[in-house]
Amino acid sequence: MDVTVAEFIRRTVLKVPRSHIPALLQAWGFLPAARLQALDVRPLKEAIAEAVVQLCQENSASIKEAAVLDIVYNHTFQNKRVWTVYQMTKATGGETDIFDFTAFKRKFKRRIQSSLINVTINFKEFEDNAIWIRIAWGTSYTKPNQYKATYVVYHSQTPYAFISKSINRSNLPLLCQALIVASNYGDIREMELRSHCLDSLKDIVFKRYSQTFQTHHPKPLQERNVAPENVDPRLIQEDKSEKERIQRVNQEVFGDGPQPKLEFAQYKLETMFKSSPKMVNVSERESFRCLVKFSSPHLLEALKSLAPAGMADAPLSPLLTCIPHKARNYFKIKERKGVLAAGLVSP
Amino acid sequence: MEPSRAYLSPPSFLPACLPGVLSRLEKLEARARALALKQEEAEQQQRQEVARLRARIKQLRRRRDELKGKVSLQQAALGRREEATSSGAEPVPTARVQERALLQWKVETVEAMLRVFYLTGISGKLTERGVCFCLSTAYDGNYLDSYYLDIVITQPVRIHRHSVPIFIPLKRIAAKYLQTDVRCFLATLSAHLNAYVGRKYQADYLQKHFSAFLGGHWQKNSLYNMLAFNYDVTTESSTFPFRVKLLYGDLDRSLPTEASVSCKEDVPASLLEKAATHSSLFMNMALHKAFDTFRKAAETPDNTE
Repeated sequence: MDVTVAEFIRRTVLKVPRSHIPALLQAWGFLPAARLQALDVRPLKEAIAEAVVQLCQENSASIKEAAVLDIVYNHTFQNKRVWTVYQMTKATGGETDIFDFTAFKRKFKRRIQSSLINVTINFKEFEDNAIWIRIAWGTSYTKPNQYKATYVVYHSQTPYAFISKSINRSNLPLLCQALIVASNYGDIREMELRSHCLDSLKDIVFKRYSQTFQTHHPKPLQERNVAPENVDPRLIQEDKSEKERIQRVNQEVFGDGPQPKLEFAQYKLETMFKSSPKMVNVSERESFRCLVKFSSPHLLEALKSLAPAGMADAPLSPLLTCIPHKARNYFKIKERKGVLAAGLVSP
Repeated sequence: MEPSRAYLSPPSFLPACLPGVLSRLEKLEARARALALKQEEAEQQQRQEVARLRARIKQLRRRRDELKGKVSLQQAALGRREEATSSGAEPVPTARVQERALLQWKVETVEAMLRVFYLTGISGKLTERGVCFCLSTAYDGNYLDSYYLDIVITQPVRIHRHSVPIFIPLKRIAAKYLQTDVRCFLATLSAHLNAYVGRKYQADYLQKHFSAFLGGHWQKNSLYNMLAFNYDVTTESSTFPFRVKLLYGDLDRSLPTEASVSCKEDVPASLLEKAATHSSLFMNMALHKAFDTFRKAAETPDNTE
């Protein structure tokens, strides 16, 4: 077994928290189950890593298996990376084709390897129909850098691909080309949607998140654990109707279920600065450049709780509430033509 | 100055400058006395005020009790009068009751009608700008997910929001039918959704309930229109793995258009026949029903299957 492969496997195992190591190695599926059970996870992680490398050496692991281990690691800890969503469009209104995984792999590899020989490409399909592609890039005279690989997640028969932000931007056009060719699409563009939580990104673009629709048959509300309030009959809530109105409006906008998890929303303002006429006229000729960034561990839940907490008026501004619907969290706000008011422009 | 000196003459042994201090003291004493008087007066006034208010409270309470008594008497009288005349003459209360019963019946009928629409699979509700359709899906006697379409009636008609999964070719169906024939659009979309949900149900049911038969190597895609897996076929002597690949060419049907069953070359000829029968079985009946027949055949061993 190659020294670089051994080192790579060792470093990958060292990245994993100790409690997850057995599950990860089992999901990898390369080492025989009996040896895995015999693996001792009590000593220090360095010792465990050494033991794993030893086992791999006995089973003669190659770079392919090491790459699959890396994919499994990143799949388990997918929220450590920042994912960007790309949308593909069909050039012609073709019929839905039956997705053939082997043909996809072949076309993808062929497209990339026709331009760059020194790449390592690996695929793995997971239970939820997600195909993970791992590409380690090299150049014409250097070997592929296994430690800075790019990951692409693609669900068959969907026009979306999720690419993890990798430092190497120069290889991105080639990657996009390969994706379109392999999946029979015509064009690809980057959407203004980025987050750490891959599942939430999938929920937004696959429309799996909870939306409210007007219907004659409201779904029965799930029983929520509402602790019985200590209602003192002498206390009267003066603004009870207002609170109920806020609750209702909030529910119409956000729905009942959990919101997708985004970490930030960024608004780039290119509007004119509107001030009292007393201020200097010169500054009004130019756009007032301003960047507003909302960040939170869970942005949409935070926005949902703004109105009930009394910190904002309900209904919230449509600029904030349209994030899942428009599937973007980077906005450019320009002047509306003809009327001096901020308008929403989607490029 | 004079009156104060009248009752307070300085003792003879004190020097002559003291009268100034003492007069100051006298003045202060007088002021203190005056203040004390004022305070006493104020307190007295306050006490009188409190007593007056208490008396007023008692008065108001008495009045309130009187009025309460009067109201209850009147209500009792009214009740007695209503009872006395309920059997016959007063038309107003009973008409109201009848009206209410009629309204309730109407509401219940409408609700039942809406529920029936919901159960048919396509139901809708008018919104301010258009209609919101609810397409509910069902397969094999189970009601499954509902999908929603919010349509805005403008020129041209467009879909504002929807919860249809991304791999259903909504855009293609909309481009074909939405502007011309909404009914056809809804029917086609409903057929696609029901078929997708049916295929998914079959695959999930198979994996859950027939895992003993299955061999692994599952291949499927998001639309569930390609399914490939290994399964075991037991004969009297041994178990043979078969591999089946199902292709669902028609997206609005939940039965495959192509089923190819393959096995290894070195198998007896009877098994090849079996493969052919299995293939036609998969083409004609739902997956889990097909496997049900396999299981029954395995339980009652016979050679004719």
